[in-house]
Amino acid sequence: MPPSRDAIVHRGDEDEVCPVCKSSRYLNPDMRFLINPECYHKMCESCVDRIFSSGPANCPVAGCHKTLRKNRFRKQTFEDINVEREVDIRRRVMTVLNRREEEFDSKLDWDNFLEQREEMIFNLVNGVDVGKTEADLQQYASENMRSIRTNQDLEAKEVSSFQERQNQEQELARIRRQAAREEKENERKEVMASREDLLSRLASGRPADAAAIAREGQKVLLKKSSARRSEEERIRLKQAALRGSDSKKPGQAAATAAEESGSGLIKGLKKIKSPEPEKPYDPFGGMVPNQRDYYTLRDHYPSPYLDPIRQDTRVLAGGYDLQEYYSRTLLEAFAGLGCFINEEVSKREASSLNAMKPVGTQGAAPAAGSSSQGSK
Amino acid sequence: MAVSPLVSPSASAIAHRKNDATGASVTAQKNEASPQFVQHAADREITEQMNDEVRHKYIKTKKLGEGTYAVVFLGHLRTDPSSFVAIKKIKVNTEYRDGLSMDAIREVKYLQELSHPNVIALHDVFSSKDQNLNLILEYLPRGDLEMLIKDSNIHYGVPDIKAWMGMLVRGVWFCHENFVLHRDIKPNNLLIASDGEVKLADFGLARSFADPYLNMTHQVITRWYRPPELLYGARQYSGVVDIWSTGMVFAELLLRVPFVAGNSDLDQVTKICEAFGTPTEENWPGVSKLPNYVPADRNHLMPTQGREFFLRQFPTAGPVGADLLMSMCTLDPRKRSTAYQALQHNWWTTEPRPTNKEDLPRKSGGTKKMGDDLTRRGGELDDDQFKNAARQLDFTAMRE
Repeated sequence: MPPSRDAIVHRGDEDEVCPVCKSSRYLNPDMRFLINPECYHKMCESCVDRIFSSGPANCPVAGCHKTLRKNRFRKQTFEDINVEREVDIRRRVMTVLNRREEEFDSKLDWDNFLEQREEMIFNLVNGVDVGKTEADLQQYASENMRSIRTNQDLEAKEVSSFQERQNQEQELARIRRQAAREEKENERKEVMASREDLLSRLASGRPADAAAIAREGQKVLLKKSSARRSEEERIRLKQAALRGSDSKKPGQAAATAAEESGSGLIKGLKKIKSPEPEKPYDPFGGMVPNQRDYYTLRDHYPSPYLDPIRQDTRVLAGGYDLQEYYSRTLLEAFAGLGCFINEEVSKREASSLNAMKPVGTQGAAPAAGSSSQGSK
Repeated sequence: MAVSPLVSPSASAIAHRKNDATGASVTAQKNEASPQFVQHAADREITEQMNDEVRHKYIKTKKLGEGTYAVVFLGHLRTDPSSFVAIKKIKVNTEYRDGLSMDAIREVKYLQELSHPNVIALHDVFSSKDQNLNLILEYLPRGDLEMLIKDSNIHYGVPDIKAWMGMLVRGVWFCHENFVLHRDIKPNNLLIASDGEVKLADFGLARSFADPYLNMTHQVITRWYRPPELLYGARQYSGVVDIWSTGMVFAELLLRVPFVAGNSDLDQVTKICEAFGTPTEENWPGVSKLPNYVPADRNHLMPTQGREFFLRQFPTAGPVGADLLMSMCTLDPRKRSTAYQALQHNWWTTEPRPTNKEDLPRKSGGTKKMGDDLTRRGGELDDDQFKNAARQLDFTAMRE
């Protein structure tokens, strides 16, 4: 039996001493050490309580003048304090520089970004250019707040969906195992049953048929098991296909809003097009109503032919609108003007793929003059 | 808004085909001598040649639907298999053995004139070997509005309705602006393109605005969407008949059930009276002179419904939307909004903004629906319940 975790931690630590109060584990077996990511100086829990309970105070380790707060103290994860520190730094930098591969123009840019990130982490860990690096990081963080946030959200989502998938897969595996067990059991039962059947038939049958009956029984068994196998195969394929379609789902990079490009820290980011400001909705869909080039429409045209309609209540009650008639006749009268057949034909022939034969255009030209009703 | 006034090659082919169908015997007699004939024969060859050219431009792939009136195929350009079209093959009709059916003529006549994002596009027309007329129509794979209204799994809101209505009213406005009455606006004639654009389809009952003193039939528009003046038998009417239908579609989009669904013409009048108020000489001067006017029972007069009624019935539309709906469903056609006035309404510009057409709710299985929609005859209802009652169209009035 492997030793428990506590045992590993405590083994050989009998002489471990708190650097602040000098009490040793030998005297106080429940002693726990805490660190603060400000300076990573180790001290025991009781020291932390004693020194920092009444508010922030300086680190008690000689020569370290960092101001520490109690709430930042935590248990150490790694035995090596340098590893602990690097992991912390790495985590902090990664949450800020959390660009995703989709956001880069090319693989090279992505790799450059990764390298740059590693370099910053290295600088911070080893104290090279700390001031400048910190400042860069700070500036980047403030400039790209939104994209950092969206990428964080994306990551959280991915993590949760991964977890979900994992659970699902485990569940599926469990079901599969169970199915296999049942399958086996069924098979066993079937074999028993058919064997019994065979025996009873042999017992009741004539001795001459014995060989034939035995052969037949064997055949039935084989057939059954092969049918089962192909069925299983089919189900397995289906499940594989399902899994395949599921795994394609995970999210694409969300289109991030454009506040970048100002910070020169990261190169090679995809240019993000800011969506064009939405135009106000045009109910007419870009067409200009009532556009008349050659005439103006009046409300009333005196005419002995049309005037009786104005008095005919039956026509009026049906909603017949003389105005519609006016505008149609006027349009038809003027429609031929402003139509330049030659220009239109040459333009169309230049543009359209399905160009007509010259016969068609010749036929169309005279026809167009008269058939322009309904066009404007 | 210019529609090209040029006649497309296919159109002239059609003109010829019509000629061919009705005047076949005449040409046969002319066959002897006559110098005219030589030219005529050459002419004929060209049209036939052109017809074949069009016919060979497309390939039929599979059948999408079949109805009493037409068969619809999926097809594509021979040169480009990714450019889908719907090929509507109109069946040779027993009623119109000697020529083309009215619906087909109307459809070709008006669709070739109209070119607008909200009107189904007619790309080409050709005749196939057994003298069937084939219309090459725009392929609209996402079904129709009826399908979306009826599917309770689909949720849509006011912005979506506003977007759909905007496209519908624009299409209607464009038709009216070009003096074409659609006369069969209803949710299953409003097809949806792959980009979400709503398109007016089925021009089988369309006609151009009538000249004064000319009678039009009142037996048009599917009953539930038919305006009161048509139910009262008016023979002279205007574009606002389509606006009533549009208003009914609007109401149906809001309620997700047909708003006034009568099971006979008389029942329809009653239901309209109940819903919007009884037409009287006060709110609709001259209504009693209409041919089929049924005097209302004095004791059961319903007052004309005001704004509060619409607000109560259609709370989702909001006050501005209810106002637009009211203006589209005014009993007196003279007081009803025209398409142009409807588009000027400030509902379009008030919040919420219409959904972008790409983001509108969608449903799969639209292809089959397009097949069904295009094979139906004008004025028909889909519902079995009314299958026999629905269609009583006579075209006698229009032949005059």
